[in-house]
Amino acid sequence: MDNAASVLLAFPPDGDLPTLEKYHKAVTAHVQQVERLLKDTTTNLASLAPLLLEHVNPAVNSISYLALLQSILASEKTTQPQRLAVLPSVTAFLMTFDPRQIRYVGSALSRLLDLVATNELLPASAAVDVLATAILRLNPAGSMLTSHHLSLVSLAYETNNIEPALPVLEKTIVFYPGVKGAAAGKRLLGDPALAPAAYLTPESGLTTKLSSASVLQYDLFCGLCFIQRRMWQQAFDALERVVTYPTKDLACSKIMVDAHNKWVLVGLLLTGKMPALPSTTSQAAQKTYATLGKAYTAIGKAFEKLTAETIKAEAFSLGQYSLAEEGNLGLMQLVLSHYQRWQIVNLGEAYTKISLEQIRAQTQSAETGAPLETEAEIEALVESMIGDGMLHGVIEKPAPAAEEGDDGTPPPPPQPGYLHFLSPADDLSEQQFAAQMLAAAQRIKDLGPVVKAASERLGTRPEYVRYLVKEQKRDKDGSGPNSAAMGFESTFDEEDLMTGVTAGI
Amino acid sequence: MHPLLSSRLLHLSLEMDHRQPSASPVALGEFSFPAAANMNDPILVFFTAMDNQGGVIVKGNVQYIRNSPSLRSLFAHSLGALCLPNRRAAADLDTRRTEQPKLDLDLYIQNYRGRTRYDRLFLIGRSSVPLCVDALKAAAAEAKRGRDTHRYREAVECLRIAAPSEPEATFDQAWLESVDAINGSEITRLLAELKGYKNNLVKESIRIGNEELAKFYESSGDLNAAAETYQKMRPDVSTQKQIADVGRHLIRVSLAQRNWGMVIAHLSKMVLNQTPEEEDTLQPFLKISQGIASLGQERFLDAATAFLATKSGVPESTYNEIASSNDVAVYGGLLALASMDRIDLQTMVLDNSSFRTFLEREPHIRRAVTNFVNGRYSACISTLESYRADYLLDIYLQKHIPKIYAEIRRKCIVQYLIPFSCISLDTMNGAFGIPGQPIEEELYSMIQSGTLQAKINTIDKHLTTASSNPRLKLQASALEKAQSYEKQAVDRLRRMGLAAADLELKGQKNMHVNTLSSSSEMYEEYRRLDE
Repeated sequence: MDNAASVLLAFPPDGDLPTLEKYHKAVTAHVQQVERLLKDTTTNLASLAPLLLEHVNPAVNSISYLALLQSILASEKTTQPQRLAVLPSVTAFLMTFDPRQIRYVGSALSRLLDLVATNELLPASAAVDVLATAILRLNPAGSMLTSHHLSLVSLAYETNNIEPALPVLEKTIVFYPGVKGAAAGKRLLGDPALAPAAYLTPESGLTTKLSSASVLQYDLFCGLCFIQRRMWQQAFDALERVVTYPTKDLACSKIMVDAHNKWVLVGLLLTGKMPALPSTTSQAAQKTYATLGKAYTAIGKAFEKLTAETIKAEAFSLGQYSLAEEGNLGLMQLVLSHYQRWQIVNLGEAYTKISLEQIRAQTQSAETGAPLETEAEIEALVESMIGDGMLHGVIEKPAPAAEEGDDGTPPPPPQPGYLHFLSPADDLSEQQFAAQMLAAAQRIKDLGPVVKAASERLGTRPEYVRYLVKEQKRDKDGSGPNSAAMGFESTFDEEDLMTGVTAGI
Repeated sequence: MHPLLSSRLLHLSLEMDHRQPSASPVALGEFSFPAAANMNDPILVFFTAMDNQGGVIVKGNVQYIRNSPSLRSLFAHSLGALCLPNRRAAADLDTRRTEQPKLDLDLYIQNYRGRTRYDRLFLIGRSSVPLCVDALKAAAAEAKRGRDTHRYREAVECLRIAAPSEPEATFDQAWLESVDAINGSEITRLLAELKGYKNNLVKESIRIGNEELAKFYESSGDLNAAAETYQKMRPDVSTQKQIADVGRHLIRVSLAQRNWGMVIAHLSKMVLNQTPEEEDTLQPFLKISQGIASLGQERFLDAATAFLATKSGVPESTYNEIASSNDVAVYGGLLALASMDRIDLQTMVLDNSSFRTFLEREPHIRRAVTNFVNGRYSACISTLESYRADYLLDIYLQKHIPKIYAEIRRKCIVQYLIPFSCISLDTMNGAFGIPGQPIEEELYSMIQSGTLQAKINTIDKHLTTASSNPRLKLQASALEKAQSYEKQAVDRLRRMGLAAADLELKGQKNMHVNTLSSSSEMYEEYRRLDE
């Protein structure tokens, strides 16, 4: 046991590891020793592990700690109570592990995370929380999609524990695993400056290779989670990522069609208007949406109409059954109930004050296809809208004129209530505006490293290198006897010939 | 005579209008009364049929319609749908002031020459209740003067429904047969002659042969054949004058066919290289046809510019086979009102010496334009409203009148509001309101469509015009730009990432949704992708 303990605690050494090379060497050696220890049948690590766990610090000796957990959980001899006993350690480890060390034992970590994601080890709410934290520890920027994202989002959605997963789901993802030549290569895994794309690779074991379907699925599930939380803007963006997914050879996936239909409904809830397909949507997908998403597009168009009959009819023609099958029944009901709300909001474009009775007469409920019955219902609706922050206004009820009971005249009828639309926030002060612009600029600047990484990656791709070589060759040839003709060619790229010439004119 | 009618006629005769009815007040009187309560009125039957065909119907006298319940319901519908942009006005028929058409048929039609005479008469016959029988009779007579038997049949057919008791309502069988026979033999003769010319290879004879044949086709009503034959003249023309003639023929036929695109196409080929005098004589014809074609395509500003550029001082005979000089004034004035702002109206309409000559023939149009320029918008609108019935009887304007009027009205309201930051709805109603129809709804739709930048306050009953806040706009647009830039940048990076990881969705046979037939298959597909 002492032997085992000394091996396990050997890394990190007490002294500093000044250079990257030394660090790398030490870690690699340590990993090998720990592996040997795991394989060693003479020291029964699984039985010693619970004891050893108390001496090993998960935040410092992460590799060793992971090995111990692994030996307990993988061993056939471990009984259920023993497994349960080790759970707090699993949680503690996943919340605190050292992300730099752990890159060297990626597949072991992945095995542990997968185990957590199966929902057998921990209760779902804890599992989601732990997974989300671990994912963010590996890559705090969260800009790279891994296979663990997928298990996280499906676990969160299926067990309805969305909130703890939100920090991960809200991150912008721009990198995907499976890029050839993205792995660290000559650079060392322990390099703290390494881009996430270089260590979150199938080679390091921290993720597996993904298929396009899983990427689509991830964004769709994100959308579903946000819908569940009623975060319409985020849901809309997530679904839009699916809708505009790049395709080749006229392909379009069923997931994309599903997402498109939901995207239309969410867009209606978010903006009150039929969203326009972004220009980046592929041609094939546009065609497919036009045919398979026709019923939903029709609803989108009907939503903009002033009378509720069309939208009611369109929703009815879709049918409860198909809505339920596509999982859009709840969303559709919400859209119908929001129809009148948006109509009231739109009244604000033309009116500053309008009586409740007029609102009642001018707007219709999409659920019944008719105006509401009483003014009280309208009042309740408007009040709930003001409460939700959807409407910027107040209901005012003029105080009835003083009652004159003495001289026998009947009291005047109560004045009808009206809605006063408040003007939207006035223009910002120079400081506020500057702050907002600065924040926007900062967000764009923050993309800098990502752009740099992308450009580095593109710059080292064989296609680009081949292109460069060709360009250089052409330049050299240009100095030959036919320099005039070649010079012309090198000035204008073949495709750009026409534009180049016209621009020259 | 009914007192209301006589007072109106008196009013009309006071109007300074060349179309003032002097010849046939009795005819109008006949119509306003005796048939009123008769449910089997042939006029009613006729106009019900016209209404069912979707035609525009201009009722004459309110009294006449008010006394006939069935006609009232018919007009309540048709007016609502076709003549008036406001649906409420139709329901409120009794309170709405409607005008007798001020035009007199004989005076009106003598301004024209050629085939357009019949077209105009027949349209009036089908659209105007008081002028129906007169116009149809005149149309039948006009058709009989020519060679087009189809037209004659058409007019008499309508007369038979509208006024079966009239002597003109029976077919002149003998005339029909003889004209049909002559037409047949004449065409054969002309074709034979043309063939002879072609064999002789004399260009000038071929051209004349084609021209004669085409003219004959045109007069006998076969416009397609006429257009085709006129086209065949092109290869054989030799002088500039002949080119111009071919162009004129083609434009005239295309206008009669209402093929506006072809009119424009032919116009573009009329690049003239003639003596200034010749060009001057042709100019009005070209400008008018260009204007009419643009009007037909609802390009009001183009049309207005064309009409306003028409030169005066050219004999009317050069263009009255398509429109009269009165028409130029009406078309040009109305379209300019609908499409130009006040400064342009002043410089291009009122200060336009050449167009002034036309305007003098239609003083109320000039009055309307002057009123608009001087900011007396309600006077402008009421002047135009009183002539709505007349303009609805014009072959080219009829279709567009509701749109043109609505446009002018919208412009009036917008212009009227410019000096105000806040105005009470009562004042607006006073200036523009139609009795019994609050202006609020119209304002609402104008605000919704973005024509008007204002907000209504229905509680305190006033309208506040929204002051534009360029600072706010700039800030909003700057923030939006930044946001969309960020979004695009992220999206592009994501796409590059996907492309680099080779994750684009590839076309596979069973992944392509279009090939999936049933929903269960789709579901399986979805499951498969789930795994």
